[in-house]
Amino acid sequence: MTAADGRFDAAVTGIGMVTPAGLGTAASWDRIKSADGTAAQRVPALAGIPADIGCWISDFDPAAAVGKRKAWRLDRSSQLAVAAAAEALADAGLDPASWDGARVGVVLGSGIGGASAWEKQHHVLLEQGSEKVSAMLIPMLAVNMSAGYIAMEFGARGPNFVTATACASGTTAVGAARELLRGGRCDVVITGGTEACLIPSIISGFQQMGALSGRRDDPTVASRPFDVDRDGFVPAEGAAVLVLERPESARARGARIRANISGYGASADAYNATAPEPQGTGAELALRAALDDARAEPSAVDHVNAHGTSTPLNDLMEARLIRRVLGDRPTVTSVKGVTGHSLGASGAIEVAVAALTVEHRLIPPTANLDSQDPEIDLDVVAKAARPADVEVAVSNSFGFGGQNAVVLLTRP
Amino acid sequence: MTSTYDRLVGLLAKSFGIEADEVAPANTFEDLELDSLALVELTLAAQEEFGITLTDDDLHAKSSLTEAAEVLDAKQVTV
Repeated sequence: MTAADGRFDAAVTGIGMVTPAGLGTAASWDRIKSADGTAAQRVPALAGIPADIGCWISDFDPAAAVGKRKAWRLDRSSQLAVAAAAEALADAGLDPASWDGARVGVVLGSGIGGASAWEKQHHVLLEQGSEKVSAMLIPMLAVNMSAGYIAMEFGARGPNFVTATACASGTTAVGAARELLRGGRCDVVITGGTEACLIPSIISGFQQMGALSGRRDDPTVASRPFDVDRDGFVPAEGAAVLVLERPESARARGARIRANISGYGASADAYNATAPEPQGTGAELALRAALDDARAEPSAVDHVNAHGTSTPLNDLMEARLIRRVLGDRPTVTSVKGVTGHSLGASGAIEVAVAALTVEHRLIPPTANLDSQDPEIDLDVVAKAARPADVEVAVSNSFGFGGQNAVVLLTRP
Repeated sequence: MTSTYDRLVGLLAKSFGIEADEVAPANTFEDLELDSLALVELTLAAQEEFGITLTDDDLHAKSSLTEAAEVLDAKQVTV
């Protein structure tokens, strides 16, 4: 629907989540809103490297989620995505057996792709030779395959692609998905993000950058966004999928609209490969573009679901940005205190949580925020979930490469 | 049934999620929805399991499990 003021709303009619906070949206939301520590633990696959903690979904059963005859074909990142998509479609009340698949698109975000398959097969190559490398390596490795498998599973034959903007990938995907509805190319778009790369090579790379928390002996307090004692992020895996439709078609079939995606903005810092531009001037372009797209004034924003990685640099930059553009009125939270940082999936998980925040009129607190950094002059929700009639929320994501994406949500 | 057959069925369960009670000796790999890439994987797994060398042509989509077990037996004899 194009609103009278020219705003285009994409209705969120379904949500699926497979996160370290829980299997399924309800379990994830329950733990996120209770915020009783980071869902981190020692990860068996990381045994032997210094940075061996992560938010690992230890109870995810691929065979149960995608079927045991299929599970072996899919990299874990695709397994998580298919499981989240199945939940989102059921939540939306859509039946893939009866839809016009050509009008259904899939746009997922993923930062890395099937890295675990690559790492495993590289060992095979070195130890056993080229002729022993798996024929499934390429379909497991390629970053586009999560969206491809969702299409195969549900018969979604419309546009199908994966966006890669590092830790903003899931947010970029939601923005691109909304454009497919706005342009009339699709009637339904399955969007979100997935990531599963808790493997020694990748995590060692982050560790060598100094990006990770050193609290390996106390993982539940390791991710502490906006806290004065934050010391880095906790790596995570996960997936979140949203079903988007035009509001009029959603209403026509009697679907419940949890929230609307009403604005999207993107930008580049053009500054540094990994460090954010300290004042957030690049990120500001994305935030202002999202506000403009939604025809919203900065003063209208009630709530910010922050990127909030728990790294010293990100959280300070983001706090300056929010304060400068949106002032001190919006409440702020970061779910990464619970979920850790699932890289390309994080933006999708956070847009999903922002939609639930709008729907349930409840702001989940930032876990482990014991002593807010005095340089962060914001109303960060801590300790307990706060009831609030959030009419307008933004969800920020900032990726390596200086790639920024912001989604603006409104109450339907 | 030969033990080779049982070990082949074991491989299908371990690597491809196809349980023993879901297969019969007359089933072909095609019947079991193993496509060409899956047959490459099965060939690799069978070489490991039986300590033999197989060519790409030894296991076909239209081979029944009985026929495949005979191929594997013949290879083991020649090793």
